[in-house]
Amino acid sequence: MNDKAKNVIITFIFLTFLIVFFVVNLLKPESEISISERRKLAKLPTLTTKSLIKGTFTKQFDQYTTDQILYREEFRKLKSLIEFNVFNKKDNNNMYMYEGSIIKIENPLNEKSVLNVANKINKIKEKYLTNCKVYYTIIPDKNYFTNEEEYIRMDYDKLENIMEENIKECEYINIFNDLKLADYYLTDIHWRQENLQKVLDTISTKMGFKNRLQTDYTKVDIVDFEGLYAGQLPIKTDKDTISILSNNIVEAATVYNYETQRESKVYDLTKIDSNDKYDIYLSGAVPLITITNSQSNTDEELIIFRDSFGSSLAPLFIEAYNKITLIDIRYIRTELLENYIEFNEQDVLFMYSTLIINNSSILK
Amino acid sequence: MLFSSISFLYYFLPCVLIIYFCTPKKFKNIILLLSSLLFYFYGEPVYILVMIGSIISGYIHGLLIDKYKKYKKVFLITSITISLGLLILFKYSNFIIDNINSIFNAKFALLNLALPIGISFYTFQILSYVIDVYNEKVAVQKSIIKLATYVSLFPQLIAGPIVRYSDIEKELSNRTHSFENMALGIRRFVIGLAKKILIANQLGEISNIFLQTDETSVISYWMYGIAFCLQIYFDFSAYSDMAIGLGKMFGFHFLENFNYPYISKSITEFWRRWHISLSTWFRDYVYIPLGGNRVGKLKLLRNIFVVWCLTGIWHGANWTFIIWGLMFGILLIIEKIFLLKALDKIPKIFRHIYVLFVVMISFIIFNATDIRQAIYQIKGLFGINGETIINSYTLYYLKSYLVIFIIAIIGSTPLLKNIIEKLKQRSKINKIINLFEPIAIMALLLISTAYLVDNSYNPFLYFRF
Repeated sequence: MNDKAKNVIITFIFLTFLIVFFVVNLLKPESEISISERRKLAKLPTLTTKSLIKGTFTKQFDQYTTDQILYREEFRKLKSLIEFNVFNKKDNNNMYMYEGSIIKIENPLNEKSVLNVANKINKIKEKYLTNCKVYYTIIPDKNYFTNEEEYIRMDYDKLENIMEENIKECEYINIFNDLKLADYYLTDIHWRQENLQKVLDTISTKMGFKNRLQTDYTKVDIVDFEGLYAGQLPIKTDKDTISILSNNIVEAATVYNYETQRESKVYDLTKIDSNDKYDIYLSGAVPLITITNSQSNTDEELIIFRDSFGSSLAPLFIEAYNKITLIDIRYIRTELLENYIEFNEQDVLFMYSTLIINNSSILK
Repeated sequence: MLFSSISFLYYFLPCVLIIYFCTPKKFKNIILLLSSLLFYFYGEPVYILVMIGSIISGYIHGLLIDKYKKYKKVFLITSITISLGLLILFKYSNFIIDNINSIFNAKFALLNLALPIGISFYTFQILSYVIDVYNEKVAVQKSIIKLATYVSLFPQLIAGPIVRYSDIEKELSNRTHSFENMALGIRRFVIGLAKKILIANQLGEISNIFLQTDETSVISYWMYGIAFCLQIYFDFSAYSDMAIGLGKMFGFHFLENFNYPYISKSITEFWRRWHISLSTWFRDYVYIPLGGNRVGKLKLLRNIFVVWCLTGIWHGANWTFIIWGLMFGILLIIEKIFLLKALDKIPKIFRHIYVLFVVMISFIIFNATDIRQAIYQIKGLFGINGETIINSYTLYYLKSYLVIFIIAIIGSTPLLKNIIEKLKQRSKINKIINLFEPIAIMALLLISTAYLVDNSYNPFLYFRF
């Protein structure tokens, strides 16, 4: 091709692309949400004199054009592809792939945040749990299982030490050695319920209810699952499957949601079509629920202060208790708990993932 | 508005291109002026009035200097006073008040005025126009549309290069548009866009990672220094590439602003290759009027001192910038006195190392929040702060950004350009390259768009100047 022809072709292709892309973007209907990123997309901002003068309109318009661009997902995938395959980057926006699993870098250790969790537990214990046997456990995030020399990760030993040194009169249940990377979903932050037998054994032994867990579980595969991380790191990965462990006791148990004042089952199969299918376990993020075991042979009660990891573990405790109360203090202030719960001699378990412990400002 | 934004690339630019090329020749300047004002208004809805005021002042003073030649010095002084007054008010008032408060233990309240984007660039353009009219180097521009188009021309408005009125005087009245210019402009613009988004932004990420971490090591300080040196070059030269490219699309020819500065073998050579439009501006409008080289030794020292003090402070109202400028001033004096001759006697590689090391130290000072931070970081380069040589944190990011570093280092030399130019001399290979060029341009555009869609890190360093 000679220079003249090249110049005409470059001009033609570039201008055509720009103009066609402009027109199509203009005509394209607005998308409401990005399913992969689990967030609402920016909408065309309203133009007012005030917003124009303050500059908020133009900022929002920039966000709008970026959010609503045609082939947004494909562009995000292209970026991931270039980051890993051309630039040989080890992560893309702090997300990386390790042994087929998508992981988000969590570093550095926020010591103040860890101390905040320890103090929070102490305060709750002091206020409500003076007559209770109190335990706590720490759930490692997926970074813990990566090669220390290859990837950066927080100082997990230090996190444990800060918790142990500062939490008073609570027994620590160490489950770090009961888990491995394969026990977590490939595309999500959470662990797989069907892989928690070792964790269940350790916790139930330490808390003394292992002998009350008699009935075996049946594993049922429910639905294919693309977790939160699949959207955040748009590269090709194997799909996960949500499975549930069930038996007649779990099936008969009822869940009461204090917020909606409704009863439901332990496994909420209406969430199969939701954006986050992990919500099948105890209906997802809720401030306060109780699970009542209608076939219980015991009066024992358990209170769990937990994050979302607890949703898939708690159902495995049901046989051992008459009632389990699950409290998520990300969504309810601790001062309000006495309005709903009568604290007396229940077993109490605090279980938080290292991700929450390292970012604890969200705990109320 | 940023060149490297979806709103510019896929909304503003296509609209302007369509309207501009559909408009008759005599109205093209008005279209460019309106587009430029919209471009500026998008980012500075209030301070656009400052720019319009400056343009009107420059326009009226140009007319007055031309019409009342007897009093032209008075009009020159009032014009410079107004232009520099606005620059000092917005850019340096806090710095001056803060220093007065420190020296005299006073408590004058800071004005805390936000810095209008691009004020340093358009002020210098207006000054050059008025001074050139005063010196009768250019004819006065009687059309305010043309003068306003020159000053506010969006391709170079907010981060340069500092285009002289004399350079585009003819093109403001009569410019040609061709497929050749358009294609060259597109290529230059897209290469600039890719340099900014794919290299400068990534180097910016790594600079920030090492600037913000507590997990420092000796190697991390070196990585920070090298990354920032490369970032500022790729960031600023990318903006100049985009400006020159956009200028070409609309029929303007701006002068080059960078010429591979990191291949220099002396600091003197470095400043002939770095931010050329600024250094030549100071040379022509400060250094030479002060007497330049043709003065006694003491006056020569004074001239160099003044120019480099101004070069430093032009970049920002902070002592770090003044020290940065003075450092180069001192080095240039030393090179003038004896070092250049001494450098000629040593192998090239050591001359390159000398330049790169000095420039890296200078940019560490340049980017520091204060002198203490700069000294701490420079000490870190030599392990004086007691950090380990390398830690896992540094190693991780070294591995992760190694390819970017290699691309950036190669890209900061003319190696690739020379190879392509040599290959193009063979007609058959030239035809093959021509075949791939449109594909490469579109691929770079698409990849850059992908990064814009997914990236949060996208500031232009020279916007703050």
